[in-house]
Order: sequence, then structure tokens, then C-alpha cells
Amino acid sequence: MPALRNKDCNYISNKEIKITFDGKSYSAYEGDTIASALLRNNIRLIGRSFKYHRPRGIYTCGIEEPNALVQILNEHNEPNTRATVKKAYDGINISSQNRWPSLSFDIGSINNILSPIFSAGFYYKTFMGPKGFWKKIYEPLIRRTAGLGKPPKNFRSKSIHQNHNVDILIVGGGLSGLIAAKKLIDTNNEVLLVEQDSFLGGILKNSNKVKQIDGKNVFEWVKETEKLILKSKNIKILKNTLVTTYNFTNHLIALEDKYSGKKIDVSKSELTLHKIRTTHTILANGHIERFISFRNNDLPGVMLASSFEKYIERYGVTPDEKPVIFTNNSSTVSLVKSLINLNCKPSAYIDARKQEDIEDETKEYLSKNNILFYPESEVEGCEGNKKVEKVYIRNSSNKISSINAKMLCPSGGFNPDIHLFTQSKGLVKWDDKIISFKPDTAFQNTITLGSVSGNYEFKNLCKEINKKLSFLKVDDLNLEIKTNIRDNLSIKELWETKTNKKSKWSKSFIDLHNDVTTKDLKQAINEGYDRIEHLKRYTTNSMGTDQGKISSINSLGIVSKILNKKIEEVGTTTYRPPYAPLSFAAIAGRSTYEYYDPERKTPIHNWHIKNNAVFEDVGQWKRPWYFKKNETETMHQAVQRESKQTRQSAGILDGSTLGKIEIKGKDALEFMNLMYTNAFTKMKPMTSRYALMLGEDGMIMDDGIICKINDKHFIATTTSGGAPKVFAHMEEFLQTEWPHLQVYLNSITEQFTTFNISGPKAREIVSKVFSDIDFSNEKFPFMTFKTFNYKNTQARIMRASFTGELGYEIYISPQHAFELWELIFKYGKDFDLVPYGTETMHLLRAEKGYVVIGQETDGTVTPIDINFNWMIGKKKKDFIGKRSLTRSDTARDDRKQLVGIVPLDKSQFIEEGQHIVECENLPSKIKTPIEYLGHISSSYHSPNLSHCISMAMIKNGNKLMGKKLFVSTPKGTKNIPVEIVSPVFIDPENERLTS
Amino acid sequence: MILINCPYCGEREQSEFTNGGEAHVIRPKDPDTLNDKDWGQYVFYRSNPKGIFYERWVHSHGCRKWFNAVRDTSTDTILKIYKLTDNKPDISEFQSSLKSPSGEPAVGSGNFAVKK
Amino acid sequence: MWESPEPKKGYDVIIVGGGGHGLGTAYYLAKEHGIKNIAVIEKGWLGGGNTGRNTTIIRSNYLWNESANLYDHSVKLWENLSEELNFNMMFSQRGVMNLAHNEHDIKEMKRRISANRLNGLDTQWVDTKQIKELVPIMNTENLRYPVLGAAFQPRGGVARHDAVAWGYALRSNEMGVDIIQNCEVKDIKTDNHKVEGVNTSKGFIRANKVAVVASGHTSVLAQTAGVRLPLQSRPLQALVSEPIKPVINTVVMSNAVHAYVSQSDKGELVIGAGTDGYNSFTQRGGYDVIEETVRAIVELYPIFGKMKMLRQWGGIVDICPDASPIISKCEVKGLYFNCGWGTGGFKATPGSANVFAHTVAKDEPHKINEAFNLERFSNGRLIDEHGAAAVAH
Repeated sequence: MPALRNKDCNYISNKEIKITFDGKSYSAYEGDTIASALLRNNIRLIGRSFKYHRPRGIYTCGIEEPNALVQILNEHNEPNTRATVKKAYDGINISSQNRWPSLSFDIGSINNILSPIFSAGFYYKTFMGPKGFWKKIYEPLIRRTAGLGKPPKNFRSKSIHQNHNVDILIVGGGLSGLIAAKKLIDTNNEVLLVEQDSFLGGILKNSNKVKQIDGKNVFEWVKETEKLILKSKNIKILKNTLVTTYNFTNHLIALEDKYSGKKIDVSKSELTLHKIRTTHTILANGHIERFISFRNNDLPGVMLASSFEKYIERYGVTPDEKPVIFTNNSSTVSLVKSLINLNCKPSAYIDARKQEDIEDETKEYLSKNNILFYPESEVEGCEGNKKVEKVYIRNSSNKISSINAKMLCPSGGFNPDIHLFTQSKGLVKWDDKIISFKPDTAFQNTITLGSVSGNYEFKNLCKEINKKLSFLKVDDLNLEIKTNIRDNLSIKELWETKTNKKSKWSKSFIDLHNDVTTKDLKQAINEGYDRIEHLKRYTTNSMGTDQGKISSINSLGIVSKILNKKIEEVGTTTYRPPYAPLSFAAIAGRSTYEYYDPERKTPIHNWHIKNNAVFEDVGQWKRPWYFKKNETETMHQAVQRESKQTRQSAGILDGSTLGKIEIKGKDALEFMNLMYTNAFTKMKPMTSRYALMLGEDGMIMDDGIICKINDKHFIATTTSGGAPKVFAHMEEFLQTEWPHLQVYLNSITEQFTTFNISGPKAREIVSKVFSDIDFSNEKFPFMTFKTFNYKNTQARIMRASFTGELGYEIYISPQHAFELWELIFKYGKDFDLVPYGTETMHLLRAEKGYVVIGQETDGTVTPIDINFNWMIGKKKKDFIGKRSLTRSDTARDDRKQLVGIVPLDKSQFIEEGQHIVECENLPSKIKTPIEYLGHISSSYHSPNLSHCISMAMIKNGNKLMGKKLFVSTPKGTKNIPVEIVSPVFIDPENERLTS
Repeated sequence: MILINCPYCGEREQSEFTNGGEAHVIRPKDPDTLNDKDWGQYVFYRSNPKGIFYERWVHSHGCRKWFNAVRDTSTDTILKIYKLTDNKPDISEFQSSLKSPSGEPAVGSGNFAVKK
Repeated sequence: MWESPEPKKGYDVIIVGGGGHGLGTAYYLAKEHGIKNIAVIEKGWLGGGNTGRNTTIIRSNYLWNESANLYDHSVKLWENLSEELNFNMMFSQRGVMNLAHNEHDIKEMKRRISANRLNGLDTQWVDTKQIKELVPIMNTENLRYPVLGAAFQPRGGVARHDAVAWGYALRSNEMGVDIIQNCEVKDIKTDNHKVEGVNTSKGFIRANKVAVVASGHTSVLAQTAGVRLPLQSRPLQALVSEPIKPVINTVVMSNAVHAYVSQSDKGELVIGAGTDGYNSFTQRGGYDVIEETVRAIVELYPIFGKMKMLRQWGGIVDICPDASPIISKCEVKGLYFNCGWGTGGFKATPGSANVFAHTVAKDEPHKINEAFNLERFSNGRLIDEHGAAAVAH
């Protein structure tokens, strides 16, 4: 069938395209939405409803659509796409939703037959017993029927974000928005005009209501105005862009569809999310027509009157030549005129208003054109098989008659589209004249113009705009606007018509998307859910993907009638952003996958890769976890090998990720004494010391080695993950508590690459690499350091160790780091030097009984708990966290304390995270809690001792030395018998460290 | 997202900053003289008013300087920004300029959109 | 249905806050402690605060014994709550999974699983293969922080949030509890360190005991009685997607990337974001927080790239320094607080209400909430659950 079109539509191209809907191919035109394309092909049935699977058609012509949601098969199966917004293109493949096996024969529609039992709050009251039925039978059943569209396919978007800083944002390129923009041309204001459609003009293109502006036909006027705006230096227009979110501080989010009406190129960004900062926001985003509830007001073929008109004017398609029109207001006559212009004629015009309230022009026009006219009448309901076939009319004398019709166009009045205004936290007010809420008090710099402000009168529009924008000191603009209809809106309150013909399967809907009926509302109120928010949640009214755009005010109207309250007393529910569903991909933008979080790599990273390092994520850093000697080597084998070799000869660790902070200034010593537990006053220059940093709560926050160059100059290291936190912590106290201290802090983490060489051969290796430095024990004792010049850069070597072996930490400029690393290996070869990763580092330190912050400690551990009493500068009057250590609970001597643990049977292995208990066995199913003493914080198989060694934090640990206890296993019931020992397993006398 | 006017860098998005909680809480000069309760007050207790709140911010992704702000926590409106060296502004300076969105009461969950 | 009476002149107990915790407290006071002369006073509408704003996750896999006992007490009550209240809570025990993204996560989770096991909880370790079986749409490898495993609690799940408030309201009202909505408590009146009643928008109401369960506003109310609480009120945001056919049959939380997801019985993806880093009572957090969560979500679940956000909203959560609640009496006689639930209050609703009712009725804590006192902020006996709270504070 050839696609139908109206010849004189300016907004649809002549180019034919092919679309596929539910497997069948149809012709349409470029510029069509999916909905206009389907209407062009006479397709009325487009989906099944959410709960009852009732047949549904296209109800509106825009973003407010509650029914016509489709799945785009060729766009990664995108579900729940609004057919009334999404532009079609050649080759688009669309499927209807929520039906099986097919749209016209849908098994789920059994729910409609069962619907008398699916009333409001139904789920809360049923499906409970007998016991176990909810979990095993009802819930899985309910879940299977959930949802609307089918899941999409994997999709990696390339959508981007764009920021704008403007003086004025105009939301909506309709008549009001264009007038405002025109006034602002070539002023000092930077202006952004955002329009959701691909054409400007709003009501000028969507309806037949306005005839001329300034003597020009509206199409010409819009074209001309757009040209002027584009020529201006200060105004930018974004089309196909929908403002969805209005945050605080005039921050708005808008989504631009870059491929509107085109096939998406997946290699490019298909969506742009605009983040707009503006001084003033002009909301000119118009109004939304609302529906009326009557019997079967959901049948395919029911379409809002102004939407019908929009299809004619904007898309050049006439959905039906003889629709029935049902209105409660004066605006609908423009649809009649649109139809008459096309030589079509409504089958009937039903106006709920009294004869005398209906405009004479309307009456005359209807009679002149011989249109069946029902004043003071209403639609009682409609019937038909999956489409409107018969419309029942109750006339002024309460008689019901029926006429045959294929389409029925109700208009229940208009709501100023206050969604964005309320998102901005503005207050709205009820207006009896237009029977709707309208903006009242703005919270931010928000101005509403035109119909969104509740002004539906064209002749007052320029005056309103001039007045509201007068603060900008721009020239007044007075345009002559000629209309085809009478200007001032006359409307009669009507939310629902009385149903005469009762049937269990006939329904009068208040929320088409969520299948909520007016009966549900009444029943919920009867049950006492009479607060509007309770009602909304109990019935799910207006909680669908359309957020009740065409119906939420109606539900307030119905509720107010039942409760016999004014609508403003019933109140409105909160409008939650976004205005319309917003793509996750667009929100995420480019900061995903490789851009999710930067990978920090050390200067030696490529060497690690070449040498088969397996990496682990430590914060943002990529650190070698272990090095695979060959393909078949397991992690366990690698770690055992690395550990053994380090203790036997020498090992090297890339420690560049360690945080480094330089502390300088007159008062550096005093500052360090306050920041760390240790006493630095008596510490000799050019020596270093292991130090602990506490939070003010007394718990260990971080550790590191402090190098004292002199009283005015220190260099501190931090843990790799803790560096930013420690630096921020120091800065905070320096700036906020002790600003009188003259201290300068400098983060030098990236300025020095760090290598840790340790093992009995370490001295021989470093002596070869740095031949002019004397590494003898006398000249370079443990916990001292030397600074020197390396190829004209500053370098430092510290004698320290985290393995328990003789060790040196080399700090070198990154530019020379890689060559030095290779040089070390050149000399190291002769000494069997092995590179090792973090796992071996952890193992070696555990053998030595050193703690790892975040592993032995968890934010609840004090220095005393890990036997570091000696590190507390007792003579110091104060340091951060000191006072907390003496609180009554913190000072208990039976707190959890650090101990070592070994299995009695040396062949057994203790798992990290397991707990120390007093019982030999655990019941297979634990019903009453088993008391435990503490947990295993670290556990390794020691290659140097050839058995498992563990560290644990256990209650009263210091007093349990030598005690036999048990450690649980991940799943078994038989616990591992263990002995509590000192956590120092190797070289307790520190001979290796200090010789 | 709210905007914060860093006294050193100018107006930037809040995500560049880190909040430091209540301002003008002075660390006790001699903590050892405090009992557990008073020390606990300093470590764990901070004011949490709905309304005018004196707080600290640091421009952590910028100049890394700390400064103070007065903010209405019921609207997130920043009423004043001042340097650490400036005197604490008197509360009366702000009380008249408070603007309540959606008519929210001083106590309560709010959520009103309709003018009564 | 519950009635909406005018307040009487006085009550034995006034509960300030008509959310799940407050209504539940009234229910257990009436049912288990025989106190019937109770009013629940709510500023707005029942369940309109965090009860109606959260992502409804229920689990008990907390690290410390005190917390595990409290939350598991709650889970056990949840398991029979529909029957008990004759109101379907739609408690769906579909399991809750906490993802590990690095070695540190793994160590922390294995420790927690072991502790949970000894406390009689059903938490277990699942590897990536098992994760893929439970949630086939999850991308475990090809992302910045790969999924390395998870702690899984099968008894955890989700429930219908409104039902909890409504169910407790219905049954406590049947036992004679007055439920007074649209009534704002302006301050708590005390005399000589003893509670006298509350001043409300409907006038003064006398009370022997006042129990404050007002979430983010608790510290504001406490201040009126001269009591300071160590709480900070922060925005916490959540969002839902459009409904789709079932794709995710369990609850998945990820601490490291700040995102948790479940799918409602309606088909919407219910997604929780992180808290903002500053105090606010606006019920609106920063947009950047939503952005951060969504980018984690599209990476973890590549099909979500074609999904859309339907609604976003914020609540106000009251956070304690140790990320554990306060269920306690205080220095004012007859004044009780139940607060500081941070991001995790919903799951605790029945358990919290149950032990709080005990505390109010007996003027001493139940042994389950003994540790959740105010003294811990002086003596240092904190219950630090930052690791288990699952959201960055």
C-alpha cells in the first residue's frame, strides 16, 4: 500500500523510506516518526498494555505517549522507545512489545479476562499463604510477567558530554521561545535555545491555531526568525535536544539525538548530553493536552485531539478522515478546521460545555459544515474489537446513542508543562480559570513564558514576554498574532464520564501506561489510601514511563471529587527528574571502560610486562603481583621462588607507588611531632624511622618511613593506597588547626621512582651500581640514608627493609629510572637477583612480623594493639589521636592484639580471614553463634620455614602466647589445631637487618 | 550540582571540592585534660542543622586551600564564603535572606510543590 | 485501613516519625509490651521518608557480631512478616551479592564470610563462574576493575518498601495506636532532664516517653531537647530504569564502584548510588553522583547501555561516625533515639523496631541493641561497619 501524505506539509520530505514493523515492510517518508509512519499505513494496534495486555494504539504525538512503546531491533534491541518521538529511517526494524506470540493474538491478554481480580493493591492482599508459596510459586510467576520490552543487547556507546556556560537558556523553540530569542538577538547575553523537535515553531507547526504573525504565514515567520537567530553572534540553537533535568544552581541536563531520523553510525557518538550552566532559565516548554476517562478510553483509535491535529499539520498524515471529537474546551475547533481544510469531516463534535458557554463561532462553523454536534454531551464509552468501532454518546437529555467511528479524539484541557519548573523547586498554584496547576513562585532564576506559565492567549503573549524579560533591558517586541480560533480558553471541569454499560472487562483508565483504572483509585481511597502519595504507590498511578503526563492532573481531579476536597488541597505528587527517560549510555558518557578511571603505571611498567608480570589493582595503580618465570609456573610456585631467592641472594621490588611527601619549613619538626605518634625531636639528622599516623579516633590510619634531613626538612613515605589521604590529612591540619606553623608540604610521589633491593647480596649489588658510595655497615648503617647527585638529578638511597633482610631503597628521578633498573639487573645477574611482586613482598614481611595497613589493621586497631607501644612518643604532650588511646574502652588491655599463629600439624594450611575459636569442631549447620577470639589477618606458606605462618588479631592475644587453639576452615567442620606464637618468624634479633 | 566560589580560584563545580564538616570547631589545646565524654564530643559530634550551617571546604581538585562557607542546608544555597583568617560572620547576617524552596518547613521532610 | 484521628491530650508513648521503624516500634510496643496508648506522629505521610525512597535491599552479612545479630534478627522477622501482618511484604529472598574488584576486597569479604558463618549466617563465597551463572548479563572481565568473586547471601533479597509501613500501620492501628499524619513535631519538651511531651503543629501533646525515629531530622529534633547526637545528614540518591523483562534475578552490590542493582517485580532496574560528601536536607544530591553510578552500571552490565533512567530521587540519611546505628536511651529520662542508620536502615526495619520497642518499654536495651548506645562515642567501643555499609560515606 502506498504511503499516504498531505501535499502541503512543510516538515516531511518527499523521500520514501522502508521500515519494518513486526516483520512486515512498509513505506514511509523521511522525517516521519515511527508513529506517523505507522499511521500513514493505517496501523492502529501497536502494543499490549503493561498489566492486562490490552490492545493499545497511538494515543498522542509526542513525548507524553503512554502506549506506543516499541523495540528497535536494529539498534541493539533498544526497548521502550516512544514511537511518537523516535524518527524512522530507511531500514529501521521495529517490533511491538509485551505480547506473545503475536500482537494480535497475545496469550498474556488472559490477564484482561482475569482482570476483575487484579484490582488496586491486589498484590499486598493476596499471594501469601500457604507458607512457602510466595517464595516458590507466586513470586517467580509474578516476576516472569514483569517488564515491558525485552532486554537490549550489549552496547558500548560513544556518547559524549558537552558543557555550556551561558547567560540565558531558553527551553523550547516554540512561539514563546522564538519571541524571547528574537528579543535577545545581538544583545550582550549569551543565549542557548534548546528545542526537542527537528524543527522550531512548536504550536505554529503542530497545529492550525495560529494563522499569521506580523502579516506572514507562520512557516515563513519561523524560517525568517530562525535565520535571524542563526545570524546573531550571541544565540546558539540546539535541535533534537530535550531538556530532562533541572538541578540546583541553574544546572540543566539536555540530551541531543545526533542521529534523529538517520541510521546510527556505531563508530561515532550517537548522543550528546549537554550540561548547561546558566544565569537565567527561560522555560517556554509549553503545555500538554490531557485525556478524559471513559469506558474503554484505551482502545486503539482513541487519540488526543491536538495530537491528531499535530499528525495532520506536522507530519502530513491524516490518521482518519471521520473521527469523533470529544472536548470540554474551546481549543478543539482548530482540529475541525484542519480536517475541513483537507476535505475531511468529523463524524461528530461532542462538547461537554453548556450550549451557552460554547463560542458562537464554533457553533456556526460546525453548522455551516454540517457536522453532527452534541452540546452538553459526553462520550459514555467506546467499543470494538482491538479498535474503536462504536462510540456511545450521552446527550444533554441523558440519552445514549451510538455512532460508528474508527477514531475518537478527546481533549480534556491543557496542563502547563510544569515538570521542569517543579524540578527547579518552584512552587505551583492551582488556577481555576484553566483548571490546572501553573507556576507561581520560582526558587531559582527561572522565568516561564507562554502556555507553561498558564497563559494560553496569543494576543497577550508579547506583552507577557516583554514584561517578564524587562529586567534584561532589551527592547520590547510587539508582534501581531492572528489566530484561527478564539483566543481565550474556555473549559469545563471534566475528568471522567459516567459509565452506563457496565461490564467486568470494560475499563475506564486513569493511567494507560500502568493500567490503572478510575475504579482502582476509588477502591484505594475506600481502603483508606487517601493521601495522594499513598494512592500513587498503592495503585502505581502515574508511575509509568510517561510519569502520567496526560493523566496525573486528572487523577487529582477524580480524587478531589471523591474526597470532596479542592484539588489544591489534595496536592500534587513530586515530579522527579528526568522529564523523559534518559539514556544510561548518555549519562555515563565517555568515562567508561578504558576511561573509567586512569591506570597509573610506574616508569618500569613495560619492563614488567616484558618479564611476564601478573598485575594487581592497588587503588589506581597497576602493580606487579608476581612474575611468571614460564608459562606453566603457578602463582604459588612463583611466589615461593621469589621469596626464597630474595632471602638467599637478593630481590628487587618496584616500589614507585609508595606515597612520598616532603615536609619543609621552620616548624617542620613540631608539625611532624603532631602528625605522627613517634618522637622526632631526638632523632639524628640523616636517619630514618618507621612511623605511624593515627586518626583523631586513635586508630591507625597509615604508616611509613620518615627521613629526617634536619629539623626543618623531612621526607615521609606513605602506603601506596593511602598517599592522597595522608597528604590531605596533613594539609588539613596545617591549614585549619596550626596555621601558625611555618611548614610547606609537597607531594613528590611521582617525582621519585623507588626500587627496594633486599637480600644478603643487596650490598654487593648496590656497591657495583653506585661505585662511589660507601655501603659498608659502619658508613651506611641501618635506618640511615644518603642523598646524592645522579646524572644531574637528585637521588636518595635509604637503608631500610620491609622484608627483614639487608635492604636499600633507591629514590631516583623517573627520567633515569628505567636505565638504572636495567643497570641494577646487569650487575644483579651475578648475584642471582630476582624481581618480585607485591605478593612476595607481603609474604616476606609476614615472615618478619611486619604489619600491612589495611590487612592487619581495619580502622579499629591502635598502635598498642599491634605491639607498637614503643612507637608512641610518651613524652610528647600531644599528637593526633593520642587522647583517644586512653579512653576507657581503648585502654583495655584485653583488646584484640597482634599474634603469630602456626598450625600444630605443619602440613596444614590456614586460610586468611578465618577465625580463631576454642572448639575443635564446628557443627555442620551453625544455629547459635560460635564465639571467636579473632581472625587471621595474613597467612602464607613460608618457603623459608616450609610451613604455614599466620598473623592474627585476637582478644587478649599478648597473654595467650603458647596457647593451643583452633582456626576454622572455609567450609569444613574440623578446625585446624594451632599454637599462638610471636608474629616474628624470622630473625627476631634483627641480625640480617643491621649487619 | 551546586557551585562554590573558591576565594582563591573563583566559582567551580562542587565536585572539585571536598567538604570538611562543621567549621569553627577548635581542636582542644590540651586534650589530656579532657574527660572521655568531652573528647568524644570533639572527635565525633558535629552540628547538623537544617538551615544555616557554618562549614569547611577544601578545593581539593584545585588550589587545595581550605576555606569556610555558610550554607543553608535546607536549600543548598551558599550564603557566604570566607577565608579561614576572616571572622566568623554573625548568623543574623543570613536569617533574613533565607529562601525556602517549595515552602519547606524547618523540620520535616518537605516535598511540597503547591503553594498554599 | 488505619484511621486518621486528632491527637489526644497525652499518650504513654509518642513515636516521632511515621516511617517503617517508627510504625514498627508502635506495633511491637502494642503487641509485645502491652502498651496501647501510643501515638505515631508523622510530619508528612506514612512511609514518605526513607522507607519510600530506598532500594529495599535486605541482608545481614555484616562484619561484627553486634551488627550481624541485629541485622539477622531483622531478616528472621522479615521471613515471617507477611504472615504476621497479613499484608504481603513481597519479601523476595533472591540473594544478595557483594562484588570483589581487587585483592583487598577479596580478603575483606572472606573474613566477613567466615565471621558470618560463625554467627550462623548463610553468606558464602562465589567465584566468577558462579557469578556468571547467577547473573549472566554481568561483564566480569572486560572492565577497569574486573570482578574477581563475590560474597553471596542467599537469604538476602528485596521487599516492597511501602508495604512495610502500611502493614505495621494497619496492625498497630487495629491495636489502638493513633496514627497522626500531617502533624509536625516542632520540639520536644523536657523538664529537669525528663521528657514532658512534644509541641506539634496541632498543639502540645503530653507523653511519658518520646521515641524519636525521624531519620535525617533526628538530630534537629534532639537539639530541641538539648541532646546532641553524632549524626550528619547526607543526600543519598537512587534511580530506576524503564521496565524490561527479567534479566537480573538477584541483588548485586559493588562497593568499589558505588553501584547496586536489583530488578523489581515490575521489571524496573532499581539502582542505588552513593552518598554526597556534604550535609544537606534538600533530598537532592549532586548530579555527578548519579553519573558515577551509571557509568559503573553500564560497564558492569553492557546491555544497560541501551536502557534509560526513568526516575531519580534523593533521600536524607543520617550517618554515624562508625556507620552503625544508635538505638539508645539518653541523658533525658523518657527520651529514646533510633537513628544513624545511614544507607542501610530499610533492611533493619523489623529488627530495629522490635528491639527499640523493648528499649522504650523497659527503659533498658534489649541485649541485641545493647552495643548500639551513645556511650560508645565517649568510651571508644565503636562498631565500625564502614566495610560492610557498601556505600562510601
